[in-house]
Amino acid sequence: MIEYLTYLSIMTGIYAILSLSLNLQYGFTGLANFGHVAFFCLGAYTSTLIVVLAKGPFILGLLGGIIAAGLFGWLISIPTANLKEDYWAIVTLAAAEIVRLFFLNEDWIFGKGPYHGGAFGIGGIPRPLQSWFSATTYPFFYLCVVIFFLALTYFVARLLTNSPFGRVLKAMREGDDLPLAMGKDVRKFRMRAMALGGGMGGLAGSLVAHYWSFIDPYQFMPIETFVVWAMVVVGGKGNNIGALVGAVIIQFFYISTRFLKDFIPIDAQVLASLRMVVIGLLIVLVMLFMQEGLLKEKKRVYQG
Amino acid sequence: MTVLQVIINSIIRASELSLIAIGLTLVYDLLKFANFAHTEYAVVGIYLAFIFNVTLGLNIFTAVLLSAIFTGLIALCIDRMIFRRMRDAGRVILMVTSFGLGIALRNAVRAIWGPTPRSYSIALQKPISFLGIRITPVQIWIIVTAVVFMVAFHLLLHKTKLGKAMRASSDNPALAQASGIATERVILWVWFIATSFAAVGGILIALETYLLPHMGFAIIIPVFCATILGGIGNPYGAMLGALALGFAENFGLYLNFGNIINLWGFFDFAGEMHIPTGYRDAISFGMLIVILLTKPAGILGRRG
Repeated sequence: MIEYLTYLSIMTGIYAILSLSLNLQYGFTGLANFGHVAFFCLGAYTSTLIVVLAKGPFILGLLGGIIAAGLFGWLISIPTANLKEDYWAIVTLAAAEIVRLFFLNEDWIFGKGPYHGGAFGIGGIPRPLQSWFSATTYPFFYLCVVIFFLALTYFVARLLTNSPFGRVLKAMREGDDLPLAMGKDVRKFRMRAMALGGGMGGLAGSLVAHYWSFIDPYQFMPIETFVVWAMVVVGGKGNNIGALVGAVIIQFFYISTRFLKDFIPIDAQVLASLRMVVIGLLIVLVMLFMQEGLLKEKKRVYQG
Repeated sequence: MTVLQVIINSIIRASELSLIAIGLTLVYDLLKFANFAHTEYAVVGIYLAFIFNVTLGLNIFTAVLLSAIFTGLIALCIDRMIFRRMRDAGRVILMVTSFGLGIALRNAVRAIWGPTPRSYSIALQKPISFLGIRITPVQIWIIVTAVVFMVAFHLLLHKTKLGKAMRASSDNPALAQASGIATERVILWVWFIATSFAAVGGILIALETYLLPHMGFAIIIPVFCATILGGIGNPYGAMLGALALGFAENFGLYLNFGNIINLWGFFDFAGEMHIPTGYRDAISFGMLIVILLTKPAGILGRRG
């Protein structure tokens, strides 16, 4: 039971980082990013490349993952920075699939040695400071690592959204006219929001790679993006605490229902599909009846 | 493979995609949102045809017609439950809702029929060979069906009162309503036509390959690409976009880029350079990026 709870907490922490970063892009800036899993994937693979192949330290892998995912966020916003939300959605969705296809097809990256690439995935990713702990106490240590980075991400997100930069993002969400009239280059601000959110997503990716110590392209299917979307819309878009609450609720549901098959006689495949039906319907229902989510955005009202 | 064969393959691919893309562009134009559940209606249609054709033992033509009608009716029910309540919602809200709906539909199909590939009960296809090309009777039927549906659509749009009302409502809904057109009824007709076309297009793909629950997601990027390429809201553009995409996908994989580079005389590659088949989706993504950077309104688009 305690093992399960630690696993649940670690995965919730990692997804909460994703949820915070998507919230920065969608909740605050209004960018319909349907390819968030690309950052997660790039963070995981970059960190693995640095630590496994280049034998770099964990912290370097983490930084590399953040930088690679941030750069990618900046890159994919170049063609769409001036366009409407519809284009954003399809370009980010497609870009995430291309990233996954790249790691699926290019197995040469990891060489021919003990590490396979491509569809076989990469195993034996070292966990940081593993020799300092026993197998039973290590998850608790890793939980602390995840909580530390989650807290860091949360404070960065809060700092950003309360800063003048954050106010420009929120203004852009309501339309380009006002920020343009204030002399803000909306194109650059959108690209920055993508890069910053992307970097946070990359951090989550590195953390997950070093926790699972095995990654393959099938862990980064497009559906992961929409699990994160469910977290943001259920918790409350434009509210950082909401993003955390949403992550806890959805991740608890998502992971706990896996064990449902031990209690009721149901095929694992059917159960997996039904779980996704619930996630899909949940998004629809929130959009229909509760667009603000559980925790509403705090809007500052200025009285003149 | 001869060039003629590649051309035939491109036309087959275009026939399948264009029927789905027409529906997407119609809904997009009238309801002003990118319906990410659109290709999932195609999957619903595919499996409805499976019920009629395999479970109930009807012949494939009856099964296709019944499936198209029932898919349209399902879409009307879904519109009544979800989208009719959200006529005034923002684009992003509708887009996210449709994606949630898409996930629910895809996984409901998967829960019922399972992830294993299935096929319709049609006679084993013996390819016909002439002029060095091979084509199966089913592939001829695919092209014929697509052409028939496209001609029928053209006549509907230009020779009937409904078509006139459809064009008027998408140009200017307020004006159309003021001139006595019941726009709500036009919306229902558009949903019906769009999704039954998607069902037929999906069945055409399934006839050539297999029935798979995740087929809808596999074609979402090419279908959106064809729609945007042709200009959002323009059904003829969608057909043209599908044609361009069909040719780009097939010739992209067929052409020896080593030869092209050699022709330019910059390098001397003895070997061949092909785009690996694993990157088929990347071709549509590449085209999408080029079109967004150069002419985001599409080939026949009217707005940007």
